[in-house]
Amino acid sequence: MNIVNIMLSGVGGQGILTSGRVLALAALDKGLDVKMSEVHGMSQRGGNVDSHIRIGESVPSSLIPKGGADYLISFELMEGLRYLDYLKPEGRAIISKLKITPLSSNLKKGASYPENIEEMILQKAPKAKLIEAEKIAKELGDIRMVNIILLGAMSKDFTLLEKSNFENAIKQRFSPKVAPLCLKAFERGIENG
Amino acid sequence: MKKLMLGNEAVARGAWEGGVSFGSGYPGTPSTEILEYLVKYDDVTVQWAPNEKVGYEVSVGVSLAGRRALVTMKHVGLNVAADPFFSSSYMGVNGGLVCVSADDPGMHSSQDEQDNRLLAKAAKVLMVEPSDVEECRWMTKEAFSLSEEFDSPVLLRMTTRVCHQTGVVHPEEKIVLPEKKFVKDIPKYVLLPSNARERRHKVEERLKNAMKFGNESDKWNPIFRKGNKIGVITSGVAFGYVYELMSDEASIMKIGLTNPLPLERMKRFAESVEKLYVVEELEPYIEEALKAMGIKVFGSELRPYTGELNLTIVEKMLKGKESTKVTIDLSDAKINQRPPTLCPGCSHRGMFTIFRDMGLKVMGDIGCYTLGAINPLKSMDSCMCMGASVGMAEGLDKFGGEGVSGKTVGVIGDSTFFHSGITGLIDMVVNKSKATLVILDNRLTAMTGGQPHPGTGMDMKGNESPRIDLVELCKAVGVKRVRVIDPYNLEEIKEVLEEDLKAEEVSVIIAKAPCVLGFKVKLGNVVEVNVDLCTRCGKCIRVGCMAIGEKDGYPVIDENLCNGCGVCVQVCEPSALAFKKQN
Repeated sequence: MNIVNIMLSGVGGQGILTSGRVLALAALDKGLDVKMSEVHGMSQRGGNVDSHIRIGESVPSSLIPKGGADYLISFELMEGLRYLDYLKPEGRAIISKLKITPLSSNLKKGASYPENIEEMILQKAPKAKLIEAEKIAKELGDIRMVNIILLGAMSKDFTLLEKSNFENAIKQRFSPKVAPLCLKAFERGIENG
Repeated sequence: MKKLMLGNEAVARGAWEGGVSFGSGYPGTPSTEILEYLVKYDDVTVQWAPNEKVGYEVSVGVSLAGRRALVTMKHVGLNVAADPFFSSSYMGVNGGLVCVSADDPGMHSSQDEQDNRLLAKAAKVLMVEPSDVEECRWMTKEAFSLSEEFDSPVLLRMTTRVCHQTGVVHPEEKIVLPEKKFVKDIPKYVLLPSNARERRHKVEERLKNAMKFGNESDKWNPIFRKGNKIGVITSGVAFGYVYELMSDEASIMKIGLTNPLPLERMKRFAESVEKLYVVEELEPYIEEALKAMGIKVFGSELRPYTGELNLTIVEKMLKGKESTKVTIDLSDAKINQRPPTLCPGCSHRGMFTIFRDMGLKVMGDIGCYTLGAINPLKSMDSCMCMGASVGMAEGLDKFGGEGVSGKTVGVIGDSTFFHSGITGLIDMVVNKSKATLVILDNRLTAMTGGQPHPGTGMDMKGNESPRIDLVELCKAVGVKRVRVIDPYNLEEIKEVLEEDLKAEEVSVIIAKAPCVLGFKVKLGNVVEVNVDLCTRCGKCIRVGCMAIGEKDGYPVIDENLCNGCGVCVQVCEPSALAFKKQN
């Protein structure tokens, strides 16, 4: 059974569940089976959030084991680092170069964020792609486009699905008003992937 | 046509296809979305109940009226509804009655991980368990037929990974049901002891018939045959792991109708294989049934007794190896936890800051405000179950002694108070408690995503509905000291608390301000830091707000997050924090 595993991670409210949905719709558009698993509930309260997506001819179960992900798409650097051990040795990470500092509780304790995090990620996963997704989204005029940009970057060498599958999924998921910008964001993602 | 759906959405779809007339329940992760999807079907009446017991009872009434009813809750919600759940088993149904229990193995968002399969067995009702999203659809639909056929409420037992799994479904059309009416039937519906004793035999007969059905049903309890060396019996979400790992080398039996268990079918299957495993999450429910028949089986001793299963655990159970290995070592990476926190601007923050600074003993409850227990607020001393804060505050205050009695408050959200706090308050009044109850009134069931409750004044469709007035309610049960305060005014909170804690009678403080997330409230101008005035005392950072960070030992405000609530401004003694003047 050949199943491709994609792990998404980030901070609640970043649009992780939305990109997962687009990816799953793209798989359906291609006529493949897909299962996605996520944990709701605390997702709007600034906690870390993940979503497991598995695509193949037939997908019996929905959770990706640690060390089993072909792709890791992360919306934030520390959440990229946290989930890095989900990757297979040949797996690929696409991580947004965004830092969201977790809640501090002490002024004198020093930074609550890992130092030199980009270097650390690249040292542990040399093929990881760190992307200025937020900057590109701002250029496009809508910060919410980060999730589509990251999907675009991931789609670049994702041979299982065609570009048209993603485009159809975007058109299904978003209103005709927002979809054109999403398609543009998807292109910019491919360029930067 | 294939469609992508969330498990909970597929339950709603299945219920609709099965001709459900009514849905009720109380929000609780991971069950909440079922009713939120069901309400989108215009031909179904869907409403939130103040608690699971009421939701269940209204649904029983709908069933008596001859209509099909769905009631949804999280696993601990079934504890609240346990009284009607157990008794309705003796009554049986008229229209089909399906109760969803969404269990939470691993406790992603729950206070325990009880396995409600045991409750279905204890209540002697039928139980079905979907293992994926398509099964959520058809099993829900068929559960109504089972309910009517076997004259039993049906427990649709789900788990987090089924509720919140998205997958492919094959929607069908809605079925047409023959019309049914209410039928007067005192021996069946009036559970006087003499009637109940008669009904007890009907319950036994029903279980016998349902077991016979399960023994013969390839649809509910399918067997995937592959050799006779290894056999695996499994159910629910565990089936996916087993099938993925073992479909080429073991015979697999999936049980979809899990109460009553198809004992004869299980026995025949066990006899057909050389080595038998049971793979199930949490309690050894299927395993014990096999062992009781004297069948040798491997299962719970090979897996953790707590938490969810996954491919790695199941592979180790069945094959004794792990083919997926972690190759990236993160042990040297200092990755901080990122716990959920109260939103910037949340009306609970000031309250918990004052509770902490006054050194109060806080009996907490279930909701967003449970986050008041997390660093740096750390101002909650207990959180047990829905509504418990009230009774626990009364008990602790009465017997706590010095430093505790007269320093104890119960803290409960408005939705939780309507759910099961009212009776606790009645107890406080009639048993002459002197404790103080704080009701955090933000007009929504916020933690589960902002559902309306009896104090919201709005129904599920957004239409206006009667609004229960908390002040009048508290007065009506006999509380004389009821005060409404502004939870953003720290002075006021402190003053009122000090007065009420001294009072020789029950006091209720209603901290009233709408949920900033649910009602999209922008409170004021953002805050700025004057570093020259800052003494680095750290009081601002200890209000626990995501908008306040730290840079070079000084606080910094994230203007994109700051909602302008001013709690940090009020705790800053040197006035280094102030609202920014509008440009």
